[in-house]
Amino acid sequence: MMREQRTVIVWPSLLAAALVAAACSDQTNLNMAPHRPSFWGGVEECPTGKWTGGGRMDPPNPDFDDGATGTSTLEGKVTFGFNVFLGSDGDGRCIVTKGEIEVNHHPSHTSWHVSIHNGQDAYGETVFAELIDPDASGRGACLLVGVDPITARVDGNKGTDQVQMELCDNDRGAPQNSRTDAMRWISTGYGDTDLTYLTGGNIVDHGS
Amino acid sequence: MNSMRMHWVNCLAAFGLVVGLTAGFMGASVAQSVAGQAYSTYVNTPAASSGQAPLAVLPAVSGTDGAEADAQGSALSVPDALSSDFLNSITSGEIGTTESGAQSTASAAHINILNGLITADEVIANVMSRSTASGAASNADGSTFQNLVVAGVPVTWGDDVVAMDLPGVGYVVLNEQIPSGDGVTSSGMTVNMIHVYLQSAGGLLGGATTTGEIIVGSASSSVGP
Repeated sequence: MMREQRTVIVWPSLLAAALVAAACSDQTNLNMAPHRPSFWGGVEECPTGKWTGGGRMDPPNPDFDDGATGTSTLEGKVTFGFNVFLGSDGDGRCIVTKGEIEVNHHPSHTSWHVSIHNGQDAYGETVFAELIDPDASGRGACLLVGVDPITARVDGNKGTDQVQMELCDNDRGAPQNSRTDAMRWISTGYGDTDLTYLTGGNIVDHGS
Repeated sequence: MNSMRMHWVNCLAAFGLVVGLTAGFMGASVAQSVAGQAYSTYVNTPAASSGQAPLAVLPAVSGTDGAEADAQGSALSVPDALSSDFLNSITSGEIGTTESGAQSTASAAHINILNGLITADEVIANVMSRSTASGAASNADGSTFQNLVVAGVPVTWGDDVVAMDLPGVGYVVLNEQIPSGDGVTSSGMTVNMIHVYLQSAGGLLGGATTTGEIIVGSASSSVGP
């Protein structure tokens, strides 16, 4: 058992040392012409990726470091859960290709739900997204879902609302309970929570 | 000049590759399984029963992926046992290269248990489990209740687990927390915000027998190898 463990450690170490030594030797003599990746087209590529999370927040509790305004018009307990996949549309714009979002505002007993399939919400609107990595605080990354507001079902099928959601994964590598993840829910009909630190739960940018 | 710059670019690239490989080896210890479930109410008494509702169960997650499930109910009434409204259950989970986790939340409002023996304006159960290369952990942060009254006694939320007798009925555990896992490769947590244990009086041999239970606000999450 011990021998296996040592083998696992030794071989990667030797490989690492060899790579660094080879790369740092003075025998390089390469073409120095400017080079850009073959996909370069002057437009920023939208990274594929997945974000998942859920929990509770209690606005106002603003995350100023990531751009909270300090003004919350949708206050009180909010619980939520989501799972979204990022991709690009035909024009290279960043979109949510599929996902589910559920948000509950407890003081007003209001529930929102957004379902996204093939890049569109249930009402045929493309769900544009914007990834900010690193984010303004430098603690992680933030994702805006619904650069153009999207349509959510309200309280089951009792109505609709235009919404946007912002998520910040700020606790990468940080101790649990650092409580630096943040979420913002903007509802045309009910108000704006502002970018708010979570009271409990987690937001995870878990890559492609 | 260009040669010098290229030299350092190669150094940096190699260093980045080494860091990436190292992260890859570390990532191997991140949890490869996640689970979650949440429900607002459950009744199982000699007189009445109602299953876990509304129930949200995290679908199977494999590879590096994520999922979300939710369920809602506008109102629930089980005569002489429980009434409540604005019932919501959500669970989500993800498996990533550097972090895996699951989080669940269940809530209910206007709660009335056993014809007013226990009342509350609102209950929220919230749990999360998380695994990174440095270990696995869970907590129930975000759980709470509002204006809870047990047998005429107001109970203030304070993060503590509280057990109270219900004379002639049994007892209730508030903010009941059930941890699981080894904290290294696995971790889990179930929180039941209001858990009523109905008991019959002891017979000649003494000791009470549990005859039923009522749960309001239950959320579970776990990560494992």
